[in-house]
Amino acid sequence: MDVNHINAFITGLVEVSGMLGIGSLTRTGLSKREKLKTENEVNIIIGLVGDIKGNVVLSMQEKTAMNIASKMMGGMPVNEFDLMPKSALCELTNMVSGRSVSELEKIGVLTNITPPTLVHGHNLISLISQVETLVVKFAAEEGEIEFNIATEN
Amino acid sequence: MEISTAIAPFVRASNNVFRDMLDLNIHKGQAEAEGDSFISQGFTVMVGLTGGWEGWFFLDMSQETAIKMANLMVGEDYHSIEEEEVLLAGAEIANIISGNAITDINNINSGLNIRLTPPSIFAGNNMSMFNVKLNACSVLLQSDIGNVKLNVVMKEAK
Repeated sequence: MDVNHINAFITGLVEVSGMLGIGSLTRTGLSKREKLKTENEVNIIIGLVGDIKGNVVLSMQEKTAMNIASKMMGGMPVNEFDLMPKSALCELTNMVSGRSVSELEKIGVLTNITPPTLVHGHNLISLISQVETLVVKFAAEEGEIEFNIATEN
Repeated sequence: MEISTAIAPFVRASNNVFRDMLDLNIHKGQAEAEGDSFISQGFTVMVGLTGGWEGWFFLDMSQETAIKMANLMVGEDYHSIEEEEVLLAGAEIANIISGNAITDINNINSGLNIRLTPPSIFAGNNMSMFNVKLNACSVLLQSDIGNVKLNVVMKEAK
């Protein structure tokens, strides 16, 4: 895992969320993922293939996800986590990874991405790729967002 | 390519892998359309596809089946889904199945050049998988350790 790759993903998330008007996103932590359990009900996963291989997962609680979806749709109230917010969150992840991939391309790392899949459920256990997973935590007005990055060169 | 045709190599590969690695015979069902989302039985391994196709391959089963499968594969006696080895065993099976299937597909369709991401594993209750703007196709495989569902979602890349 290369720090430049991680930076590309962080830049991607920060820029896209700024563009969509997600309020004051700040980085609050960076750590290795130690446990398999996650309290976050909403996980959106995208696969990477190419110079780096792996998966990135954007993970958050249902409430945060609904707040973000509402922000993305111009403040429309979102009371239920149905198709509309799911689709919005997938689109967000798609934009973040698209932006990150072009950021990676600038430093000569070529990768392809898969379409996003949203995994929604309670008391989830997850293992992302089979390598060490780096968790970058963010706090925004809408709630906390965790960005899990598991890549191998 | 029709998605119901696309799933055939995965069914074939699963049949071989279950027979050779786990010594299990499977009874396969019909290919069914799933729409853009499906409900997991409790344990899902997902492998991404990029290249000529973009999408995902899901191997879905109940948590009991996942534990039984790990026990058969490793020869240990696991009891909980929270043991990392159970997750890894599931990931390995999905990796082998998708690897074999994709090798077949790439051999038949030259130039397609599909590549796979490393597998990721999710387990939990009432878990649903949502793929925006993609249609899933599934085949249910019945075996002595329980039902295993193969799910393929893909579109042809532009």
